[in-house]
Amino acid sequence: MDFKDYYSALGVARDASDDDIRKAYRKLARKYHPDVSKEADADAKMREINEARDVLSDKEKRAAYDQLADHVARGGSPDGRFRQPPPGWDEGYEFHRGPGQGPADHADFSEFFSSIFGSRGGMGGMGGAPRGPYRERGEDHHAAIEISLEDALHGAERQLSLRAQEIDAQGRPRLVERTLDVKIPPGVRPGQYIRLAGQGLPGHGGEPAGDLYLEVRIAPHRLFRVEGSDLYMTLPVTPTEAALGAQVTVPTPSGARVDVSVPKGARNGMKLRLKERGLGGKTPGHLYLLIEIALPPADNDAARAAYQALAKATPSFDPRLNLGA
Amino acid sequence: MRAVTTVIESAPLTLGELARAVGAEDQWVVRLVEVEILHVDTPSDPPERWHFRSADLQRALAARRLERDFGANLDAAALILDLQSELRRVRALMHAHGLA
Repeated sequence: MDFKDYYSALGVARDASDDDIRKAYRKLARKYHPDVSKEADADAKMREINEARDVLSDKEKRAAYDQLADHVARGGSPDGRFRQPPPGWDEGYEFHRGPGQGPADHADFSEFFSSIFGSRGGMGGMGGAPRGPYRERGEDHHAAIEISLEDALHGAERQLSLRAQEIDAQGRPRLVERTLDVKIPPGVRPGQYIRLAGQGLPGHGGEPAGDLYLEVRIAPHRLFRVEGSDLYMTLPVTPTEAALGAQVTVPTPSGARVDVSVPKGARNGMKLRLKERGLGGKTPGHLYLLIEIALPPADNDAARAAYQALAKATPSFDPRLNLGA
Repeated sequence: MRAVTTVIESAPLTLGELARAVGAEDQWVVRLVEVEILHVDTPSDPPERWHFRSADLQRALAARRLERDFGANLDAAALILDLQSELRRVRALMHAHGLA
């Protein structure tokens, strides 16, 4: 794991003011926002600057990070690699959210961040608490879980490893690792949240723990692309099948194979719909097949003759008619 | 440890639960409904009877980030979120037609 320089991620100096950090973040966020950015690594960059902003815009986290950076600079890590924070590095710091800082959603933060601030498997781990007797329900946390399309369809059990910072009996923060078995119900869709009651941060003074919310993401699939509850698949057909119509067999995400009629005169980009063969749920999505005409190679005499015969048989066919040339 | 899991769709969130999930006050969620970042089926019902689903949680989290990271007010956040979902809809449509 490499030590992450959050100051250079935002392009600011070590003594940058809060305002400098805010301005630098906003400028970079506009450049790398995945919805608008043309940069190839926009997603990764956005995660990096989000993480840097999260640390540097919080006084306590920034102070703790600075101390750690000094330690590394003094040779705490001879080969330049960062393994884990030195023992006791965070003494005297308590990480907690100030009012208005928003949700602790560190779903995409790095392993380096987790090793310092105690968040892993996407779980936000800040949330130390002020000492002393008081009552407060534990905070809710957010994480993301990526599952395969097959798991989304059929449901699955997944093990999630979480590391969070908790406050021990002496009021000192410590990292606690735990493993959760998460049941993914069948028919879950991307963007849906799974709620794990009582799996957020522990409460104080006898109050209940918060909840953990897992945002469902679906890993890219070799054949099917997911759009909401609908699935899309490219269906290659031969020119003969497209022109004359055909019955072809296609795989479906459930594993079953189904016969599909390609209509006569099918064109590139034409969409065929297999009703309710998409992702499940109350209103199941559909599976769309996008026709893509594949040309047989003209790599032998018979194939070349067949292409020539086709040209002879369709003398008035001019695909460039509309070009007016 | 075996955790009890529920998809929000099968047990929608109350106003208080949504507020807690995004680290905000109840009144902030009411404001999201007022500026139409969130839509409830029965806005004339008292807020305690409103229910929210995954898409609402996603939008509320996004609004919270726009507010926190850019100092956006909620009316501007509403416009940004609408433009963002329109952009994603158009891109999905382009994908579906093999144009992107």
